[in-house]
Amino acid sequence: MSAAETSVTARLESMNAGAKAALLTLIVGATCLMLEPFAPWLIKWPAAWVLPATDWVGDGLSWVLEAVKPFARACSDILSYPMDWANVALNGTPWPIVIGIVTAAGWYLGGLPMAALGFLGLSFVLSSGYWFQSMNTLALVAVSVPLAITLGGTLGILANEIPRIKSALQTVLDVMQTVPTFAYLTPILVLFGFGPVVGLIASAIYAAPPMARNVLLGLERIEPEIKEAAIMSGGTRLQQLFQIEIPSASTQIMVGVNQCLMAALSMVIIAAVIGGFDDIGWEVLLTMRKAQFGQALLAGLVIVAFAIIIDRMSGALATERKRYAPFVSWVILGVSVLFTVLLWKYLPNPNDLRFLDPVAETVDQGLSTFTVANGASLDSFKNNAMFYGLLPLRIGLDNAVLPFTWGFSWTAAMSGWLFAGAGVVGLLLAWRGHVTAGLILVILTGILETGIAELPWPFVLCAVAALGWVASGRKLALVSVLLLATILLAGLWERSLLSLYLSGAAVFACALFGGLIGLLCAVSPMAWRVMRPVCDMLQTIPLFVFLIPVLMVFQIGEFSAFLAICAYAIVPMIRYTRHGLINTPDEMIESAISSGATEWQILRDIRAPYAAPSILLGLNQTILYAFAMLVIAALIGTTGLGQSIYLALGKADVGLGISAGAAMAILAMIADRIVQGFAEERRQVLGL
Amino acid sequence: MIRTLFAVFTTCALTASVHAADMGAKDEPIKLAVNEWTGQHVSTHVAGAMLEAAGYDVEYVTAGYMNMYQAIADGEIHGAMEIWSSNVSEDYAKKVEAGGVVELGDLGLDAKEGIAYPAHVADLCPGLPALEALRECAMKFATADTIPKGRLIDYPADWGTPGADRMSGFDLPYKAVPAGSEGALITELRAATEKKSPLLIVFWQPHWAMSAYDVKFVDLPVGNDECFEDPKWGSNPEATHDCDFAPSRIFKAGWSGMEEKWPAAFEILSNYELSVEEQQPMMGAVDVDGGKVEEVVAAWMADNEAKWKPIVDAATK
Repeated sequence: MSAAETSVTARLESMNAGAKAALLTLIVGATCLMLEPFAPWLIKWPAAWVLPATDWVGDGLSWVLEAVKPFARACSDILSYPMDWANVALNGTPWPIVIGIVTAAGWYLGGLPMAALGFLGLSFVLSSGYWFQSMNTLALVAVSVPLAITLGGTLGILANEIPRIKSALQTVLDVMQTVPTFAYLTPILVLFGFGPVVGLIASAIYAAPPMARNVLLGLERIEPEIKEAAIMSGGTRLQQLFQIEIPSASTQIMVGVNQCLMAALSMVIIAAVIGGFDDIGWEVLLTMRKAQFGQALLAGLVIVAFAIIIDRMSGALATERKRYAPFVSWVILGVSVLFTVLLWKYLPNPNDLRFLDPVAETVDQGLSTFTVANGASLDSFKNNAMFYGLLPLRIGLDNAVLPFTWGFSWTAAMSGWLFAGAGVVGLLLAWRGHVTAGLILVILTGILETGIAELPWPFVLCAVAALGWVASGRKLALVSVLLLATILLAGLWERSLLSLYLSGAAVFACALFGGLIGLLCAVSPMAWRVMRPVCDMLQTIPLFVFLIPVLMVFQIGEFSAFLAICAYAIVPMIRYTRHGLINTPDEMIESAISSGATEWQILRDIRAPYAAPSILLGLNQTILYAFAMLVIAALIGTTGLGQSIYLALGKADVGLGISAGAAMAILAMIADRIVQGFAEERRQVLGL
Repeated sequence: MIRTLFAVFTTCALTASVHAADMGAKDEPIKLAVNEWTGQHVSTHVAGAMLEAAGYDVEYVTAGYMNMYQAIADGEIHGAMEIWSSNVSEDYAKKVEAGGVVELGDLGLDAKEGIAYPAHVADLCPGLPALEALRECAMKFATADTIPKGRLIDYPADWGTPGADRMSGFDLPYKAVPAGSEGALITELRAATEKKSPLLIVFWQPHWAMSAYDVKFVDLPVGNDECFEDPKWGSNPEATHDCDFAPSRIFKAGWSGMEEKWPAAFEILSNYELSVEEQQPMMGAVDVDGGKVEEVVAAWMADNEAKWKPIVDAATK
């Protein structure tokens, strides 16, 4: 062994895990790039290697579905009773009394501000002309939420009682949250039959996980003393659980209920896609189909009004604050009943009250005026974003740089120079001691030159394994590779890379701009006061509504889809960044101030590192949201997995739908675990 | 002679028996599917009004167009009045084969699909509606997603790819971009009309947007079945689909148990027809003038008794 080789081995041994993983990835990537002309199968997974897995899934499922169908139909029959009762109760109650009840509950929970919120919110619903549809929607939520709470609560308690199944159950919860509902719409339609019950079940599936997670968290956080006291006082395990532990975890459980309500409300629109029910989501779909932005926004805002009322009231229920005099609530209720009885003959049909139609009309006209006035400048903005951002990211500089776009053609020599330049900078970084950073720079340059949609699959597998290994360990690396391999074998690889590209670009933009907005909101309370309702609205309004203005301005295409995804996925990044930055312990800041640090230094050296785990959690949520939005973005016309899910829905192809949904969940869950791994590491470094 | 007489006799008997059908379970409501577009609402409400005139109780149930066939097969919805062969879910054929769903004949709407553009585009690309004009204008239709080709907005992927087929059929330098949803198609039309920007789109009539945005079709050579199978047919010897769209059938379907449960209703729905000339003004009255479907249809029913009354009478009297 020569001296040079010895020194290479010595240096390799001295490298840290990250650098080793990056080096391996780089070698695999470079080899693939060099072999690409001789072995095209490195880029494009050959059709001959695809297993007819989607057909197997379809056949297997149809068999299972037929077997379970009688049972499911019975369930659906049973569920239709409470659904009908809720419907009759909500639609049968005269509207002044419904408003009175909500206002009275608002007073009891939060005094005047909450009562005003309830009153104004429902008055808005009343004047929108969608009262009956809204009550139908509320009936759906009123039945699906108890169902989700029971399901989620049971899962949470099970996970707490039987530690062996905890991690398996958590995976189940992840699957319930990440597989898009559209993917399993066909099978649940077959199982439960047509009608609102299907929407009810879909929304219960989606809303149960937050409940389960919070129940588990609450039960785990109970002080050991309390548990011991419960054991000492005798009683069966069930008594301990229901009489001592669950009551003492009630605050956390109420947070779960709150989250569960919000999740159920966000699924209202999915229930409408199936139909069978004249609800507010159906109105959104109808107006959206006619490209009537004003009316669609109005119908969407009705859902937002409900979401805000429900969120604030159930949030107040979760905190143990003082309650306000029930006397006033009774008075409010009494007034509303009196009002109804006295004016019974004059009460208008709530659906004839359409005070807000002119407003909707104006909004619609405003959108037209805006589009016409700014068409040219917005077009050039879009073109620049496409030419210099999205296109190179998707198909690589080697294909995206053309005389029409950049003004010249990309040549092999340019690739050479690009790699040489990246190599030099990378070496420089390595020489300064940042070996990993140098290697990653070269890898990223390679990705940009090739384009995400055209990355060789061995490189992707290797890069994901490397990330998983560094973030968490061998197990994650192995599981990730196995799961990705199933996507390859199912023949969904190309579509998955397209989805990965679109959501990746969106996550990057959200991380950047969301982080900056979060920072701004942390520094200035005024900015937060403006951003908070915007965040609330973006998260609860059916996103279909925003497709119209985005399309009006930017037309069908990737850029519109990209913007639509960003609009939804940026919210958690803003929230968590702000939350992390303002929650730095006071004593740390005080000691920094006393040692003479400037405001900026405190932010950079104290707040930012301390906020890192929270920001990473925000990033994690942003990734999950971005994947969730892919299905909605497919309505604009993207070509990734989202489109496959619609294709499957149109063909009633159970296998394709489930497989595409599973592929989406796999990508989201791998990204989630990797980011969580890094977050855990940071938390340990900070000693949290 | 006797045989002929006998034949005439049986035909008479048959027609008679077909005409005076039994009302069946008239106390139970007949549920008609209401899908996502106005034309369908009109077709459905006219059918519903006819059933009501016959003495039935009708219930309108909102249902997603793509996934309502399971419900029809289960007998939870009894009739769907406007199904387009151009974008019918494959689930329909499966359910017909399995026996849960039966076709109830053509609705009589003459549909036309084609490559279309809002009228102002003719100024941007002179020579339209001639097909060859598109070849010259391709770059005018180009956008960042499609450059150096022109952009054609195709149907959502789950309705098929007729636009892409035509572009390769005629070897035109256009890239077909699937729209994703009908809302996206309409929004494109609206934006292009307001901005006076170029737009080429796959579209169909009857549709309220045809008149609202003054949409015109590009002239395509009339084709036949051969055009879709034999590349040699048509102007481009290399490819199939170098001709106009195959005419789309619009038909009605219902639950297979209907004939037995409500024989007269089955007959009314089977014989019910509605033409473009009848449907389109009603669509306009709803979507452009903001009328309510129920009221618009009631007004039409009152004015056009001669059109529908005979069908109802034939089935019930």
